[in-house]
Amino acid sequence: MEALVDTREEFQDLWQVYLPIGVAVAAIVFGLVLFTLVRYRRRGDEVPGGREGPPIVEGLYALVLAGVVVFLLAMTFRTDDRVIEVSADPDVEVDVTAFQWGWRFTYPDEDVTVVGDDRRPPTLVVPLDTTVQFTLTSRDVIHSFWIPEVRFKRDAFPNRETRFDLSFEEADGTGRCAEFCGLAHGEMTFDVVAMARDEFDDWLRTQRRGGEIQHGEPS
Amino acid sequence: MGVEAGTAVAGRAPAGGLLAWIATTDHKRIALRMAVVAFGFFLIGGIFALVMRSELADPGLQLVGRDTYNQLFTMHGSTMVFLVLTPLALALGTYIVPLQVGAADIAAPRVTLAGHWLVLAGGLTMYSSFLTDHGAGKAGWTAYYPLSGNSATPGTGMDLWVVGVILVGVGLTLVAGCLLATIVRLRAPQMTMLRLPVFSWTMLATVLMVVMSVPVLAVGMALLLADRLGASVYESSGGPIAYQHLFWFFGHPAVYIMFFPFLGITADVVATFARKRFTGYRPLIVALIAFTGLSMSVWAHHMFTTDQVANKYFSLTSTALVVAAGTEYFAIIATLIGGSILLRTPMLFALGFFLQFLIGGLSGVIVASPPLDYHAHDSYFVVAHFHYTLFAGSLFAGFAAAYYWFPKWTGLMLRDSLGKVQFALMVVGTNLTFFPMFLLGYDGMPRRVADYAPEDGFTDLNRLSTLGSFLIALGVAAFLWNLILAYRRPVPAGDDPWEGHSLEWATSSPPPRYNFRSLPPITSHAPLLDRRLEAKPPPKRGRRRVAR
Repeated sequence: MEALVDTREEFQDLWQVYLPIGVAVAAIVFGLVLFTLVRYRRRGDEVPGGREGPPIVEGLYALVLAGVVVFLLAMTFRTDDRVIEVSADPDVEVDVTAFQWGWRFTYPDEDVTVVGDDRRPPTLVVPLDTTVQFTLTSRDVIHSFWIPEVRFKRDAFPNRETRFDLSFEEADGTGRCAEFCGLAHGEMTFDVVAMARDEFDDWLRTQRRGGEIQHGEPS
Repeated sequence: MGVEAGTAVAGRAPAGGLLAWIATTDHKRIALRMAVVAFGFFLIGGIFALVMRSELADPGLQLVGRDTYNQLFTMHGSTMVFLVLTPLALALGTYIVPLQVGAADIAAPRVTLAGHWLVLAGGLTMYSSFLTDHGAGKAGWTAYYPLSGNSATPGTGMDLWVVGVILVGVGLTLVAGCLLATIVRLRAPQMTMLRLPVFSWTMLATVLMVVMSVPVLAVGMALLLADRLGASVYESSGGPIAYQHLFWFFGHPAVYIMFFPFLGITADVVATFARKRFTGYRPLIVALIAFTGLSMSVWAHHMFTTDQVANKYFSLTSTALVVAAGTEYFAIIATLIGGSILLRTPMLFALGFFLQFLIGGLSGVIVASPPLDYHAHDSYFVVAHFHYTLFAGSLFAGFAAAYYWFPKWTGLMLRDSLGKVQFALMVVGTNLTFFPMFLLGYDGMPRRVADYAPEDGFTDLNRLSTLGSFLIALGVAAFLWNLILAYRRPVPAGDDPWEGHSLEWATSSPPPRYNFRSLPPITSHAPLLDRRLEAKPPPKRGRRRVAR
């Protein structure tokens, strides 16, 4: 078994690099501007004029910025490599079909398919701490499979399959369609229920094979 | 060096009355009309936003249905991008650039005029879609295929929206082409490229991006129209992503088209109100050119979640923009340092642009990182990000331009105290509206939804945001009142109320038909400052030294 891809943790680690740098830059610029407004406020009728200096300072400054860019990109690329890696031998596979306006989750190994109905969205049942491989497609327009809890989304295109691995540490969440897809885009949600691996196996074994089951919410 | 009024025209005498109003070839009149039309669309697009914000104040659908809501955000986005910010940027350029380069008129004024009417016609075409059975365009301002195709969104309304965008695209390209020719060909003899004021340089970069990118939009939309009429252009499996490439190849330069002119305004305003030559002029020009080049190679950062583009490449080019943007920020701060700063309304709005755009820019660095974008994309985080750039940024600089140049356009002053009231209302309103959206997006609220559930926990932040939007509306009302006051109780402005640095302040307010009776010597990018310093050199020694 390969190492788990924890998209939530990868996101948080990278976020904690970007956010403090952004806040620091904002603080410096806000501070400098406020300082100049006080320090250099107009007191008399002087015209300082100003002259153009050699652009040495700007050059050095640009180099510093370039250094920051390289650092951020290095962090980003490393994280991205881990996040988009697809396992050749996933523990659990789920085929996801998005359509106007709902989701269909199929566990191909067990031939179990879950859908929603007019009143309730479907439930995506997944095992905890396991690599789950999703194969995503759309039946009509472009949708986007987003589970905010795991900080990841991927677009679903018609006539095209895309594959990605996720793992789940938390028990519950809500999945959403992130790509605007028409009238009921806002209601195109699904529930996410993550349970221990053996519970998950039990749940999957007791579901009806073939056809579709509504909601799929575990009892 | 004199440019004689009237020598540039030959032929028929100017028409009077209504025809003069419709068919004027005076770049100043065309520009003002473009600006007034853009401002009118801004008010309508703003009303759409208020309706949407009201709907989102509470869970459940209270005010409009989902279908109407989808039309509202589609038309809000299309209005603000196609009919407000881009035309406003070009209108400011069309008025000010010929003056700043010392030209008697714009190049090919009839083409400019045609461009203006095409933009207006495109806008009216887009809006006429409201009158059709299926309602207005409702596939988002991005109109992604297949949603924008005939089977997912049938109806004449969507067709009219597409036709409208094509007309606007052609119109904007024509206006930009004229400005490009003006800067390249019609500069006064002493006006070398490195004596162009910063605003004119930013307009040059802008119109270059317009002529390179907007035709691609027009083509993409023409193909979409053909597809909707049955031609199966985008129907293949690669069609939807091809549409996105065409759209964003326009759409990302478009973002900088709506940024550069406003950066230029800010540079001019900051230098004027700091009574200081713009510092770091040459590095800024280099940064602008680099930025323009890079802007044409970042488009697919809108497509990180499609799994169909080279994410790392587009992340690299997008993040590299930091170096260019940082150089621009450096130059403006360097201009402030050592200045003699007066906080009048134009300066406040310019600084509002400068600081609030920074929040938009920094959050832009975050969404330029694919792993972060996998979460932020298409959420309210992105909505917050681009409203900080376009509204808290560019539109604030648009108001800076209005307060700064209104005296030049009309010979009248806007009230400074009322302007400060507007500024305060808008700063509070803007941040109250858009900052909570960062948190909403991070917490998982997708964009383009009319509703959310009470248990989502989005209610409080949405209420704050709605409250803020009405403060913005009050601020805009203060501006309208200021305009009315300016005409009802006029305060004459004189030719140069701010001690400006560039040539537009060396002529009367408003300028005569062919702009200048005579031109002062053009000695640098701040010729009027040079003249002022010659008359009264700065003290050699003093409490405050001249910066660098």
